[in-house]
Amino acid sequence: MKILGISAHYHDSAAALVIDGVPVCAVQEERLSRRKGDSSFPLSAMTWCLDHAGLEPDALDAVVFYERPMLKFERILTCALRAFPHSWRAFPKAMQNSLGEKVWVRGIISSHLGVPGNKILFTEHHQSHAAAAFLTAPTRRAAILTTDGVGEWATLAVGHGERRPDGTTAITLLREIRFPHSLGMLYSTFTAYLGFAVNEDEYKVMGLAGYGRPTMVDQVQRLIRRTPDGAFTLDLDYFEFQTTTERSYSERFVELFGPARNSYEPIDLETAEGRRFADCAASVQRVLEDTLVGMARTLRQETGETDLCLGGGVALNGVANARILAESGFERIFVPPAPGDAGCALGAALYADRIHFRNPDREVPDHPFWGPLADGVALARLAREDGHPFEELDDSILIEQTADDLAANRVVGWMEGALEMGPRALGHRSILAAPHAVAMRDRLNRDIKFREEFRPFAPVVPIEWADRYFELPPGGARLARFMSGVFPVRPEWRQRLAAVTHVDGTARLQALSRDMAPRLYMLLQAYGQRTGIPVLLNTSFNLAGEPIVNRVVEGYTTFRRSGIDVLVAGQTRLTKRVSPRAKATEEVTCSRSVE
Amino acid sequence: MIFEMLGPVHRWIWSDAERRARKLLRFGETETDGGRDLVRASEMTPDSLLRRLYLEHAIDEHRHGVMFRRRGNEILRALTPGSNSSFQAEWLAPSGHGVDDLHVDEEPDEALLAFLHLSEKTAADRFSVYRDVLQNDMPTRAIFEEILRDEVFHMNYTLMQLARVSPRRHARTLWYERLRRIWKSYLRMAAALGALIGGFLLTIQYFVVLPPFAWLAKRAERRELPGWTPISPQRNRPLQRQY
Repeated sequence: MKILGISAHYHDSAAALVIDGVPVCAVQEERLSRRKGDSSFPLSAMTWCLDHAGLEPDALDAVVFYERPMLKFERILTCALRAFPHSWRAFPKAMQNSLGEKVWVRGIISSHLGVPGNKILFTEHHQSHAAAAFLTAPTRRAAILTTDGVGEWATLAVGHGERRPDGTTAITLLREIRFPHSLGMLYSTFTAYLGFAVNEDEYKVMGLAGYGRPTMVDQVQRLIRRTPDGAFTLDLDYFEFQTTTERSYSERFVELFGPARNSYEPIDLETAEGRRFADCAASVQRVLEDTLVGMARTLRQETGETDLCLGGGVALNGVANARILAESGFERIFVPPAPGDAGCALGAALYADRIHFRNPDREVPDHPFWGPLADGVALARLAREDGHPFEELDDSILIEQTADDLAANRVVGWMEGALEMGPRALGHRSILAAPHAVAMRDRLNRDIKFREEFRPFAPVVPIEWADRYFELPPGGARLARFMSGVFPVRPEWRQRLAAVTHVDGTARLQALSRDMAPRLYMLLQAYGQRTGIPVLLNTSFNLAGEPIVNRVVEGYTTFRRSGIDVLVAGQTRLTKRVSPRAKATEEVTCSRSVE
Repeated sequence: MIFEMLGPVHRWIWSDAERRARKLLRFGETETDGGRDLVRASEMTPDSLLRRLYLEHAIDEHRHGVMFRRRGNEILRALTPGSNSSFQAEWLAPSGHGVDDLHVDEEPDEALLAFLHLSEKTAADRFSVYRDVLQNDMPTRAIFEEILRDEVFHMNYTLMQLARVSPRRHARTLWYERLRRIWKSYLRMAAALGALIGGFLLTIQYFVVLPPFAWLAKRAERRELPGWTPISPQRNRPLQRQY
């Protein structure tokens, strides 16, 4: 059975193809369109998935959209009515936005793919999250907790999943918290207040939190109150996201926390204002963690399960995930590599396969590499055309050479195999560097990633060595498989891992098993032989404001525009020598002088 | 021409430090976005020389963005707290590339080069006006000076490359691009007008049709209990339904 899953229209659209119960490929639209967080209908992603599998659209048995558009429209309309007359500005925009495209999903899919309407299915948003979390996890049964900004109505759902001995699968969501009461919206509101981009920069709030102290927890708790049944409600007097599209926090919010940050002004942690913003981030982070830990603890007691599958955008919060693991009583936590909306494309397809069509359970490969392949030969061609020195090397020599580069403090762009699904670079589209000196972190932030100085970098370490350098609790290695947890760096190693140790002594590490990315694993070993520490700094291969690179030519242009010293794709190794401007100017007989 | 005749207006717009800073910051964003489009163009073109040139151009745009942002932040930091110019005069003094839009993936190289040439020319015209009115802010004026030098290079290379990739039709391509810009401007205005009219009609409906439904919605909301909402097993509706 061939099922195409699609997520679109809110943020991070994607497509995924499942054939006979096993994912074949998946890709986010942004990686193909090169527009970060691209939420448009994922035509390129769908086309790529079908081409990759050699399928025509009429060979599909079903196309599954990751949420129910009319139910979502009902929520938008109802919220506008509830906020009457304050929603008068937002109402026309919301209607134009929804009625323009978003509610006509069946027709849009049908017209693009030419599949009949009865082949087009719709899962609920949190069902898709739950399926993406549970059906990709190597566990037979688990509790499920999904939480994000909002889907149709639900903002948080809990339940459990089971792979039965007879091959059938069950996902049962037991209860939900409904919009506007939302942990994701609470966090996003602080993201906006702190001058970052909503739905994109939430991880910056988490990074900033490390620099602050949770001195404003009492104030944050006035915004979010626990209910007697263990859920929570937001005090809507402090928010405006439910009534307007212009601002997510109210004047009362500003009275409570002080003036919002101007997004253009850099955060200076030496000033009182900068520290206030950091304390604000630390406080909302603490409240988020406490709330999630409380809910997970209750779910553990209620279900008796030892495994927990986390889904939804909030599951990208590695600090909260680590606290849930440590304090909720669950022994293992599974977070998929793409817990946000992009991963829902895969979740929706798997849900239809296992639950709707009742196909028998199949093991899902436990890796994030579902996208297009990197082509080293293409890099050699580009290098030849542009006159850059390059080598095509055997794998073993290439690994040794790259380890030498890294040991010599060169920054390496590393592309191999299939592109990752999800926001983390997990070894196939990475920028790698030596993790030892603060100077390397500063250089990466300043010359390569062009981003804020408070942003930490992540380490990658062979799983067998992870415990030597990091304080991993039981189950921590699993959480670190896809960089989903933040754990303390052992104090004795902090100085020698300074580039990847956050200000609070933690790191969002990736514990790499050999089977997941064998070449990167070998590179770590080779680097370890040279330096005694088989740990590398691993950050996503992109520049600020751009999506992670996909094709080799994108890696090449990123290499050319930044301070990356070496680019490796497949068997090809490229270095910088010739001044690009000199090369271009040579061939163009026009002057730069002012006329 | 009209833009240049508005010199006194521009002098007034750029005279306010806070407004000047905000403009520079927005210009920075525009240049950075333009740079990304050019990177995309360099990734898409099959012509290796154009790839190098687009990439050079992209690096210039990125550098311009950094210069604008840095200067904008410098001015903002020097301002006394509490100063605030609410009127930003966005339409009177647009950034270099104004409201031009670019769909790199859909354009062949000759159309893209024609588009870039005209865009750069427009930008150079605007920036030279801004430079001339910034006599009291020499650091900002110096930034425009430097960017103008780059714009000349960009105008020249786009024109020369257009002649190379389309030797017989490059003049016609330029005229076609000029007409297309006018058509696109019309479409943008029409779409904006349509959205305005649509918004107006929806606002009228909001106040005329919605009040009774709003009352019902609010009444229903008051009956909702805070906290968890149980999900009944019947909630697992058939997947064919959108609702």
